[in-house]
Amino acid sequence: MSSAGSRLLVTKGWLRQKLLMLSCACGGLLVSAVALAESQQPYQLLRGNPAGYGAVVPGKPIELPADHLPHKDYRIEWWYLTANLQDAQGNDYGVHWTLFRQSLSAAADPGGWASNQVYMAHGALTTPAGHVYEQRFARGGIGQAGVVLDEQGHFAAWLDDWQLRGEADGPLPGQLVFTVAGAKVVLDLQANTPWVLQGQNGYSQKSAQGQASYYYSQPHIRISGSLQQHDESLALDGVGWLDREWSSQPLAPDQPGWDWLALHLDDGNALMVYRLRQANGEHWISGSWVDPQGQAITLGPAEVVFEPLATNPVTSAAGRVRDLPLSWRVALPAKGLSWTVSSVAADHWLDTAFPYWEGPVRVQGSTTGRGYLELTGYE
Amino acid sequence: MTTTMLTLSHVSKTYHQPDGDITVLADVNLHLPAGKTAALLGESGSGKRTLLHLVAGLVKPDSGTIDIAGQRVTDFSESQWNTLRCQTLSLVFQQYHLVPTLSVLDNILLQARLAGRVDASLQQRLVDALGLGALLKRLPFQLSGGQQQRVAIARALMHQPRLILADEPTGNLDEATGQDVMRLFVELVQMTGSSLLMVTHSREMASYMDCRWQLHHGVISNVAALDTVDTGDTGSVTNHEG
Amino acid sequence: MKAETPRQFIWVLLTLLSHYRRHPGQALAMIVGLVTGVALWAAVQLINDHARASYAEADQLLGAEASAWIRAHDDSGVAPADYIELRRAGFSTVYPVIDVRLRSSSGSFITLVATDLLALPLLAGGGSTMANPFAAASWLPMIQPPYQAWYPSALARQLDIAPGQQLQLANGQALPPALIQTQAQQGQRIFMDVGAAMAVLQRRQFSYLAVGHLPPAEQQRLAASLPPHLQLVPNHQAIDLAQLTASLHTNLTAMGLLSFAVGLFIVFNAVRFSLLARQGSLTTLREMGVSTGLLGLAIVAESLLWALLGTGLGLLSGFLLSQQLLPAVATSMQSLFGASLGATVSLQPVQVLVAFSLTLAGVGLALAMPLWQRARTSIRHSRSAPAQWQQEHAGVKRMAAVALVLLLVAGLIYPQIDSVVAGFVVLGLVMFGGALLLPLLVQLSIAAVATLLPQRHWLLRWSVSDAVAQLPHLRIALMALLLTLTANIGVTTLVGSFRAALGDWLQTRLSANVYVQSNTLDLAALGQAQWLAYAAERFGSSQRWQDRPTTVRGLDVAAPDAQALLLAQGNPADLALWRQGDGEPQAILANEQVHFLGNQLLGSLVELQTATGLQTFKLVGFVHDYGNANFQFYLPNETLLKLWPQARREGVALWLQGDTQEQATAALLQAGAKPGEWLLQDEIKRVSFAIFDRTFAITAALNTLTLLVAGLALLAALLAVHQQRLPEYSHWRAMGVGFRQWFLIVALPLLLMIVVTLVLAVPLGLILSWLLIHDLNVIAFGWTMPLRWTWVPVWQLSGLTLVIVFATLAVAVLRVRQTLPDALKQLAGNEG
Repeated sequence: MSSAGSRLLVTKGWLRQKLLMLSCACGGLLVSAVALAESQQPYQLLRGNPAGYGAVVPGKPIELPADHLPHKDYRIEWWYLTANLQDAQGNDYGVHWTLFRQSLSAAADPGGWASNQVYMAHGALTTPAGHVYEQRFARGGIGQAGVVLDEQGHFAAWLDDWQLRGEADGPLPGQLVFTVAGAKVVLDLQANTPWVLQGQNGYSQKSAQGQASYYYSQPHIRISGSLQQHDESLALDGVGWLDREWSSQPLAPDQPGWDWLALHLDDGNALMVYRLRQANGEHWISGSWVDPQGQAITLGPAEVVFEPLATNPVTSAAGRVRDLPLSWRVALPAKGLSWTVSSVAADHWLDTAFPYWEGPVRVQGSTTGRGYLELTGYE
Repeated sequence: MTTTMLTLSHVSKTYHQPDGDITVLADVNLHLPAGKTAALLGESGSGKRTLLHLVAGLVKPDSGTIDIAGQRVTDFSESQWNTLRCQTLSLVFQQYHLVPTLSVLDNILLQARLAGRVDASLQQRLVDALGLGALLKRLPFQLSGGQQQRVAIARALMHQPRLILADEPTGNLDEATGQDVMRLFVELVQMTGSSLLMVTHSREMASYMDCRWQLHHGVISNVAALDTVDTGDTGSVTNHEG
Repeated sequence: MKAETPRQFIWVLLTLLSHYRRHPGQALAMIVGLVTGVALWAAVQLINDHARASYAEADQLLGAEASAWIRAHDDSGVAPADYIELRRAGFSTVYPVIDVRLRSSSGSFITLVATDLLALPLLAGGGSTMANPFAAASWLPMIQPPYQAWYPSALARQLDIAPGQQLQLANGQALPPALIQTQAQQGQRIFMDVGAAMAVLQRRQFSYLAVGHLPPAEQQRLAASLPPHLQLVPNHQAIDLAQLTASLHTNLTAMGLLSFAVGLFIVFNAVRFSLLARQGSLTTLREMGVSTGLLGLAIVAESLLWALLGTGLGLLSGFLLSQQLLPAVATSMQSLFGASLGATVSLQPVQVLVAFSLTLAGVGLALAMPLWQRARTSIRHSRSAPAQWQQEHAGVKRMAAVALVLLLVAGLIYPQIDSVVAGFVVLGLVMFGGALLLPLLVQLSIAAVATLLPQRHWLLRWSVSDAVAQLPHLRIALMALLLTLTANIGVTTLVGSFRAALGDWLQTRLSANVYVQSNTLDLAALGQAQWLAYAAERFGSSQRWQDRPTTVRGLDVAAPDAQALLLAQGNPADLALWRQGDGEPQAILANEQVHFLGNQLLGSLVELQTATGLQTFKLVGFVHDYGNANFQFYLPNETLLKLWPQARREGVALWLQGDTQEQATAALLQAGAKPGEWLLQDEIKRVSFAIFDRTFAITAALNTLTLLVAGLALLAALLAVHQQRLPEYSHWRAMGVGFRQWFLIVALPLLLMIVVTLVLAVPLGLILSWLLIHDLNVIAFGWTMPLRWTWVPVWQLSGLTLVIVFATLAVAVLRVRQTLPDALKQLAGNEG
């Protein structure tokens, strides 16, 4: 699962602002206090009482292409693409683009300016020159952001001019267009293999207490595209991974965050593994192994080893230093496979409203490969 | 063995007024041994106060020299005078000149504090002798004239000056009080070993002194260099006539 | 000796300070003087700095930058579809704004600003204070019925709105329930979500779109992407506001400095008294061998302590005062200039430093003269009164000489006044010249009265001679009083004249009975109704001229108000030419601001940007345009619409036949206007005066406070004089002087001095108001008005002054009664 939970972490700056607001405007106390409470417990949203929202239950089949579109009766949902790309010279590039949707209330969406839907998008780009990213927000209902089938029946997910458009009723094959820090990224996405339903046919359990999400992925996306900057266009190609996930309560009360890894191995296999860190130290580990034809098997804690090897200091833009596990050991003992996964560069902290670490990784060991690592919930 | 505390040699002072010059002092010579008390008697306008001001450095002589405690003060700069006033001299006035906003105790200690020599046993002796023990926390305006003058005397002595210059210290007091104060004053001066030059118009008060000089129209005469028994040098006055 | 100096210094300082322990009244006077002076000055300074900081943020809205606007050519608003299209085209720094003036059912005008907080381009390090709506539960109540309206607390107080209450508008609509909280740069405006505002106000359009920072290339792309009915307008607000309000702030600064000066007078007074009272002790210290240098050092240390104390307390009070005055200033700024001031003032270290330096300089100044006198006096003379007496006498003459020099300099500078600052310099020279002249005038008056009194009135003669004894102690307080009386009379006259001019102007300018501003009104439908005498439409087009916001306004030349148009300058023949839309080049009228601030003369040629390019016009007349900070030109409607086809409609003025208001409103409704879209003449006048009064509220407040300070100065001085003379009074009483005689001796000369002060204040006040109205006002705001003199403030101020004088006398009477036994005892003790 790639995810939004950690994104609900709130920056210190924001907290300071809230405190300031508290002290300035007595009348705003109530609203500020609510926001403050949320900011102090950033995961509250993902742990929020799911009553009234759609419930995530096992056995409910994923229906495509319908499930590519928003599920407004569920609290939270995302369309999440990561890509490992190279230019003609063999330089590595990374792209990470996400559109989040949230239903602010379990009530039906009144639409228009009063819509209870809000969207948030993150766009990040890793080039040999470094890491840049942007975040955007928009309300639903007014056309500024949304996920729909357009007049031609084509899939379209957008926020402002950032968009993921399908050539048919799904996002694939399709085109991702977004700009970040003045650079325009245009990626054509193709996949021939079937969608991988994670967990039990798309029902992805997150804890022993019943927290879960609907989760499916496309791990074998072939990408060709361009990076346009300063009137120059650079051709890029590589592989990508698209995650689709929605839930009303994906986190359990005792889970501070998670670590997530999606790898494209050079032999054509793909591996996804995540662990939800639990307060008692017994982390919830789950994953999937996808062969080149797109046939997947779900991995449980007994089948996959996923453990940090070392931590590295990571400095955020605000100057805060965190020790994050940027090197991992991943192993499938039954298959006799074992890898070391390490970040390409440490400086991939996103100081967005909901801060987290997300960046490309290199794989060494039984096979070589590349992929993306996501670390959330690190205070 | 005695030393000289104050010597005036050929001191003259003339004030220039629009309606003519007034010679206040004409070639005055006198000398006061250390540890002795002297009264300077004279009518109003005789120049006795000017003489005191000359010694205190408030006025400069036109001619002649003044020596205090072995120092030729006639050429003193203002800062030398300040040092001398601070370390060597004490002034006692008819109007007491207490600091009205300081308590009796603070007034007594003021000059000693400025000079940096507060002697607790001396303080106790002075307070006891002058009967100020019950008044220490009061403010000057709460005291009678005699009490205020006693405070002024305590302040002057507390400082342990070598020379006290007093200007009609009992002039504001009734006769009985004046005599009391004067007796105490002289006793205490003798106790502390200071010298005293006092200006007065009262022969009564002058009688407490070791020697008495008379000023008349700027000319000084030795009224009684020594009419009490004394063995040492008792000071002298010479006029240019003889 | 050197080593002993620190110890001596401490004891000398303690001895000096013991004075205040015994005379807390004088300490209080020092504190009051320092604190009031510093506080008023600091309050004004804080407000000014705060306002300037707010202007610097004027190109920001709610934490987001607004370096440009996207507006419709006719200013009719921007449709949401156009906005979304721009966002979808990648202009993510564009955000929607509704910025409207609303009228509450109680008749107040309020500005409402609304935007989409989620769409705001976040500024680095700042940004919206709104909780991130993606996580915040505060989002839904804002955007869903019943919505929320956010009020800054000052505005809520002004409108008497409590949390949860809904403000009723004149057109029958109600704003959402109130929440007392503010956004950055909200100023004294109500804030709402833009969607909520559209729903509540039944709008389908935004007022405009704001554009955050864009690189030049993107800006070009944006300009090119706009549909034809929209235009990109650079936001000059930050610069414009700083420019437009500069004069107002100079005005405020001048008042602050005056308060500071008056405060210094009190301090000066208090210092003098305290030094005078300590003169004996100072001499005693010198007799004990303390050098004048060390005494000076101790006095400097004392002033340093006072300055520290005064600055601290003064800044604190100034801060509190500024919080009180700010809402009035903020309202003025909003209504006059459309400037939004934040709700809270903050104290900067530099202000603390400046306040401290000013106070120290002030206390130093107050101490310098007495010290200088002290240093020059020998120990021997320092106890003798006559020497001092002569110094006083010489001092009065010296002051008069300085006064004449100041007045002469003022006279020389006057013809060259070309800036507000130069104007205030002349003003200050005249006022301080007058103040310095006062002691001599009082002395001469006393002398004159003395010669006039017959020999046999011994009591009156005593009384007059007593004046000579009182004068040295009172002259500084009298000077402070003169300054404030002058300032009060001058400013009151200015405000009164302005108000009268505004009234007259509104009378001719607003001659129509009803003013309608409606997008839906079909004017033709009103037709030739019985009740309608005349209907005139107005148009307007905005541009920048001489780099200032400028409006070209179209008038219906046949309308009664245009027929009766009064020119401040210009000749009627040219006016006829203008009405016909003739002239070569085209005749045009302008407001006075174009004359005074734009430096244009009758007959000057001005170039304006028309739809077809630059065109030259000839200025044929200037009209009054009070309260407008911008330039304005006037053309007949036909000419305007020819040159600016996209000019916006600025409403319709209706003249009614007799008392037909009800018929008129019914007909308006029928012709498509909605309730609340028209205003009656009386309402506009009332609102105009309300704005006027609120604008001058701070002036009035400062005026009153300064007078209060001067009253305190007089009070302190009189109390000190009486305190000092108590033994004397007791002596008199002991000699058998009865209460009535005593009162005569003490009060008469005092009254004589006060009368002289008041009499001098009148011509000085007149000069001050003349300068303010004929020079400063014109330079600062560019509008002229006749000076209207009234005696009312003079009587009021005289009354107030007399109350203060009698109050102090009453206190003195009481003190004499209380202390008489003691004083008599002391006399007896000393003399017995």
